Amino acid sequence: MHGMQSKSVYKVPDGKLLKIFLDYNEKNDSINNIRITGDFFAYPEKGVEIIEKELEGEIIDKKRLMKKITEVVKKHGIEFIGLNIEGLAEGIVLCKHE
Amino acid sequence: MNEEWRLLKTGFNNAFNNMAVDKAILHANSKGLVPPTVRFYGWKPAAISIGYFQSLMEEVDVEACKKFGVDYVRRITGGGAVFHEHELTYSIVVSEKHPEIPKNIMESYSRVCGALIKGLKHLGIKSDYAPINDIVVNGKKISGNAQTRKMQTVLQHGTILLDVDVDKMFTLLRVPNEKIKDKLIADVKERVTSIKHILGENMSFDVVAEAMKKGFEEEFSIELTEGELTVEEKRLTEEFNKKVFSNREWNHMR
Repeated sequence: MHGMQSKSVYKVPDGKLLKIFLDYNEKNDSINNIRITGDFFAYPEKGVEIIEKELEGEIIDKKRLMKKITEVVKKHGIEFIGLNIEGLAEGIVLCKHE
Repeated sequence: MNEEWRLLKTGFNNAFNNMAVDKAILHANSKGLVPPTVRFYGWKPAAISIGYFQSLMEEVDVEACKKFGVDYVRRITGGGAVFHEHELTYSIVVSEKHPEIPKNIMESYSRVCGALIKGLKHLGIKSDYAPINDIVVNGKKISGNAQTRKMQTVLQHGTILLDVDVDKMFTLLRVPNEKIKDKLIADVKERVTSIKHILGENMSFDVVAEAMKKGFEEEFSIELTEGELTVEEKRLTEEFNKKVFSNREWNHMR
């Protein structure tokens, strides 16, 4: 299921440089596949892979993404340093515009 | 009487071995097999390490690394790409439950960086912690640090720059936009410093290691006693070297 391939580079305010690689369905703006990369920190590290998996199928909309990421972060006790939920959602949304 | 921790001086090794040793100590300490440990080491050949979440191909010019004989490896810690050449690298491995280790991750960065700041002071260098993970001298970065926590154990490793070659570093690292590469290099030269630059003379690895040893002892009220990797740690090092750090799949994971 290959869709639109996109990438964003986003400096998180007071944080690190986030680089997102996104494959999404242009018809309904849903995420096929996402790679969250950058020089941030996350504890536990596996949390980022969980977020990537959980975001598959989600619609690229900042509010909806923030809600979803918040749920996953709470459920798995994930802690970011140099990144935050809003910054992550913003980085994903930027993929659509670039 | 101060608590005794182990000091390891493992010399200069390649990137895969260096990262495997840190992971081996982390595992051994988490099983209660070895005491809290501070390790000093260097890199031969020079190497690039990238943060756990970074994309290798995005950050590193792999072909240039091959051409210049520079290793590249993905760390188990987050953070950014580092060019390891003229530096002292340290690692500290200690239980999350140790009373000297703050539960809060940012506070624990500050404590470990505190040891390095005390160490630099022994060399006559006044430095400051610059959150998230840097130490600066007059606003210029001299040390970068990265921490992970696994199996209730903290591993933090980082660098103290003895000297720095920004031009060489940028032949090995990718830049987002080639057009602004010259400006980027000029910016980094303005923002990074080294012990050699500050003191105006070369300071040997061993002298800096001795200063850092004192820094760790003072910061954590400990006595560092030189030891060696255990048989189990050596076995784990070989295993992690082979299965993880020199494995293409691991390094190209992102």
